[in-house]
Amino acid sequence: MIFQKPTPKNVVEEEMTQFDAQTVAERVDEVETIVGPSVNVEGDFASEGNIIVKGTVSGSVHTSRFLSVEPGAKIMANVRAGTAKISGEVKGNLKIRETIELTSTAKVLGDIECRVLSVEPGALLFGKVSMPGIEGAEVRNVKPRTSRRGEETAEAGE
Amino acid sequence: MRQKCMYVYLYDNFLRQKKYDSIIKAVEVRLTDYGIAGKILRLNNFIDPKQIIDDEIKRGAKTVVIVGNDATFGYVLSRAATCNCTFGFLPVGGNNTISEVLGIPTDVQACDVLSKRRKESLDVGWMNNRYFVSQLHVLPAKLKVVYDERFAVTANEKMEVVVCNLQPFYWKKDKKDQAEQVVHPQDGKLEAFLRPLTKQGWWGYKYEDPSVFPFEEMEIVSDSPFTVEADGKVSKEVKVKIKLAHGKIDMIVGRNRKF
Repeated sequence: MIFQKPTPKNVVEEEMTQFDAQTVAERVDEVETIVGPSVNVEGDFASEGNIIVKGTVSGSVHTSRFLSVEPGAKIMANVRAGTAKISGEVKGNLKIRETIELTSTAKVLGDIECRVLSVEPGALLFGKVSMPGIEGAEVRNVKPRTSRRGEETAEAGE
Repeated sequence: MRQKCMYVYLYDNFLRQKKYDSIIKAVEVRLTDYGIAGKILRLNNFIDPKQIIDDEIKRGAKTVVIVGNDATFGYVLSRAATCNCTFGFLPVGGNNTISEVLGIPTDVQACDVLSKRRKESLDVGWMNNRYFVSQLHVLPAKLKVVYDERFAVTANEKMEVVVCNLQPFYWKKDKKDQAEQVVHPQDGKLEAFLRPLTKQGWWGYKYEDPSVFPFEEMEIVSDSPFTVEADGKVSKEVKVKIKLAHGKIDMIVGRNRKF
């Protein structure tokens, strides 16, 4: 048992840690926009570089690179980013191109769309998570949703 | 044949002090060695740099060299940014942070850089109706900052804004903090540093960690007038529009420049 070949699960974990190390190195190099504590940002907040949020943002957030939401930060907006690390509060849908990391202090109220999701124990999440890669899942997902909506509207009508 | 007086040197008023005599003499000797010595003009409070530079350009000057420190650099270029000539910089004495960014050593060694004539186009900031090259500073007040007409930034209390173009921004976390944190501005964009103040105790205020936003256009608005200091010139404003004007100044820079 000791000399067993690494299971596919282990391999994935190893790959993940390597990828994380790389992204962390990138993040440190290119810090561009910082929203400091006790600062409120309103509107379409977009940046070409990395964004670090320590304050409050409402409206929408968009970056093609890395987004970090620090503990104590609040985002009340739909978010689009390359990769993200959430340690604060997010109210809105998250559309992440690559990896999203929810740390133990994270609070997310909204749907997540991403390729890779990592959740630390203690993180709070309320919303739908969807990832590409499962064939046929999208078709299955869509059908019941529309019927549910139909039911809901029917109920509301009653 | 080299035209007469292709180089013009603008000396700051403080260089009249005796302690700078030896440095100035050494610089002049080195410039003569390189064959780039030229007409010397001394600045004072009653001289408009733009006017004298325009006059010298008419007489055939191609390169205007500013001799002094950060204050001289800002004073001359904020007024003469539109002049059609190449600028050089000879940093002398203390208070020289811009020269580091431009990769120009201080005193006599700067002549070597000047003689090599490595030219770069530098960005200039545009504030309301005048240029600024080094730094713009808005003293703490209740402000609203609108970036690129897309998003607005506010703070609960007062806020201080520093916009950096060439001059790096130094700040201390608090009075006890000895290590100064330095941020060097990137070229191609202006960088705004916002530091909100939070009330502490009865009268005291505490600086929060700064926010950093790179931008091309921004507007600072307030209900009451606030103090703006751009390249050493102080004014009171209610609305300030800050923009970036690309490639406005041709400048001789060193190899070790930070952009």
